[in-house]
Amino acid sequence: MRLDIDTCLKKASVCSPWLFRINAGSCNGCDVELATTALIPRYDVERLGCHYTGSPRQADIVLVTGPVTIKMRDYVLRVWNEIPEPKVTVAVGICPISGGVFRDSYAIAGPLSRLVPVDVNVPGCPPRPQAIMEGVVLAKQIWMKKLGILEG
Amino acid sequence: MSSFLKILLKNVLGGPSTDPFPFGPTFEPKRLRGRVVVDPDKCMGCGMCRNSCVAGAIDITKDAESKGWTITVWQDSCCLCASCRTYCPMKAIEIVPDWHSAHFEEDKYSRIEQHTIEYQPCAVCGKPVRVLSLAKAQELYRNDPDVDPELVRHMCRSCRQIKDAEAHVEILEAIPRKAPKQDAAAPEAEAKA
Amino acid sequence: MSLFWSLVHLIIFPGGAFALLVALYLKGLDRRLVARLQSRVGPPLNQPFLDIAKLLTKEQLIPATACRPVFLLAPVIGMAGMAACAAFIPVPGVFGGLSGLGDLLVLFYLLPIPAIAIMLGGSSSSSPFGAMGFSREMLVMLSYELPLLMVLLACAMMTGKLSGAGTADFSLVSIVQYQLENGSYCFNPVMVPAMVAYLMFLPGTMGVAPFDIAESETEILEGPMLEYGGPLLALFQIGQAFKTFVILGLGVVLFFPGTLCDFWPVNLLWFLVKCTLLMFFSMTLVRSATGRFRIDQAVRFYFRIPAALALVSLVLVIAL
Repeated sequence: MRLDIDTCLKKASVCSPWLFRINAGSCNGCDVELATTALIPRYDVERLGCHYTGSPRQADIVLVTGPVTIKMRDYVLRVWNEIPEPKVTVAVGICPISGGVFRDSYAIAGPLSRLVPVDVNVPGCPPRPQAIMEGVVLAKQIWMKKLGILEG
Repeated sequence: MSSFLKILLKNVLGGPSTDPFPFGPTFEPKRLRGRVVVDPDKCMGCGMCRNSCVAGAIDITKDAESKGWTITVWQDSCCLCASCRTYCPMKAIEIVPDWHSAHFEEDKYSRIEQHTIEYQPCAVCGKPVRVLSLAKAQELYRNDPDVDPELVRHMCRSCRQIKDAEAHVEILEAIPRKAPKQDAAAPEAEAKA
Repeated sequence: MSLFWSLVHLIIFPGGAFALLVALYLKGLDRRLVARLQSRVGPPLNQPFLDIAKLLTKEQLIPATACRPVFLLAPVIGMAGMAACAAFIPVPGVFGGLSGLGDLLVLFYLLPIPAIAIMLGGSSSSSPFGAMGFSREMLVMLSYELPLLMVLLACAMMTGKLSGAGTADFSLVSIVQYQLENGSYCFNPVMVPAMVAYLMFLPGTMGVAPFDIAESETEILEGPMLEYGGPLLALFQIGQAFKTFVILGLGVVLFFPGTLCDFWPVNLLWFLVKCTLLMFFSMTLVRSATGRFRIDQAVRFYFRIPAALALVSLVLVIAL
């Protein structure tokens, strides 16, 4: 069997998803849950190799919270476009998925799937930390699919 | 910093306190709000849940040919506030602790709780009627051993009234009938005319 | 032949592959230890390797307004400088060091290169956060350079004095040789303040808490690293790994190069154990127990405590 460096690198790369979060007008409930998943010892997201990064240029999985408000729409699009490929978009909470309680409001430009291609949804208001971690695991599968190395 | 060092030492000696999820099972509080479930046996289609839902996640549509109705809960819009559970008069809505909500984008619109509830013909007159659940019928008629809950839950409202009146006809007849009241205003009106 | 050996030292041992392997595993160990100290489980031990593999597969974005050549060259400069440094580090009992080529003065001039590379990258990225990170990195660097210089000077003068040369001896080879023959400096009361100063210098130069002021992701979004991602960031991380090896190795060599026996694998292991201990006490423990300094607090700290300690050692060395 020939050792394929490219495939090896790709397989290794999936074990190091760096997370970046965009607050698109969220009430901060989901952001608190995201911070909880990362920071407290009980739900240690670093076990998955995750690492919260402050820069969109270093992100692999982008977690978007909040209904995309009219004011935030341009900024969300701009920051989202700064993230290098391959990237996986995860909508956290019901607001980016459907608009949630803000649906049909005059101040909402979302849901998020109208603006950018979303890959994984984690509904909840806010979702459990475990559910967010499950979303990250699903995002890793999508990432593998995008790299073309998903077996089975 | 020395107090921090004490805490660090305690942490090292105590071992990690991390939940094994996603590599192992996790805990699940009993009253966790995970997902809305509608019991199609109990729902009477009153629309209270739709009115009380802040997120507009519940929809009740009557069938065009009035054969029944469809109740839909869109899980991706539900904010799990439990208003529907509180206000449902039939206690047909429950929130189960199933928190596995993460899903791929292609499953987004299939994550709904949907039940189509059809009218059934009344056991007596054949008019389309919403059948009451057996448990509810038993609860309602538990002080009334003469009534068969299985039969009564299949009857329409007017048939139930008739049957109730038939069952209690002696009592009804025993009640002394009052003479119709004299209308005090009537003679005056006549006099004016 | 000497060119061949220089290349071996640069690419395989102690620089290049060996240094990278050691430094990346030490970084993984560091992350795991911090996790344990915070009562978490932490990432797998080979996480830094996975991170670098990931960064190599990512798309490289370059800001349109950036100064392109500098932006591309900065990580290469940082990595190359430190890779060269790593070849000079003697591994006591295994590798004596490059005599004549690498001495403390060369190291002192090469050590700021990663910081300068970070500054170059930050300032060329045309991002305001990069500029802020530039100024912070510069201030931290200026404040830790003085204690470092005094520590190195104290070591050199101590060796020169004791070995009878009279003047300062800046050669790493003779510093190691002298300590191997006459006992390590960490047991010498004159040098203990300098050693403490060196321990305090470590977190500052490695940019870990409480001195991660330049790259604070919560305040200025990774600062100079903001626009870097993909392979260029991987280069920065490799440079940082070389720097970890150089700084830790230098600490071991300067203050505690003692060997256990003449068998070289044991000495190699002993060297790694000493590096790990040094990292644990100067970086891991400090990182998990402290928050982040403000920039003025960091500067004041470096000019007060480590500078004073190093000065005490230096004066004692000169006076005795």
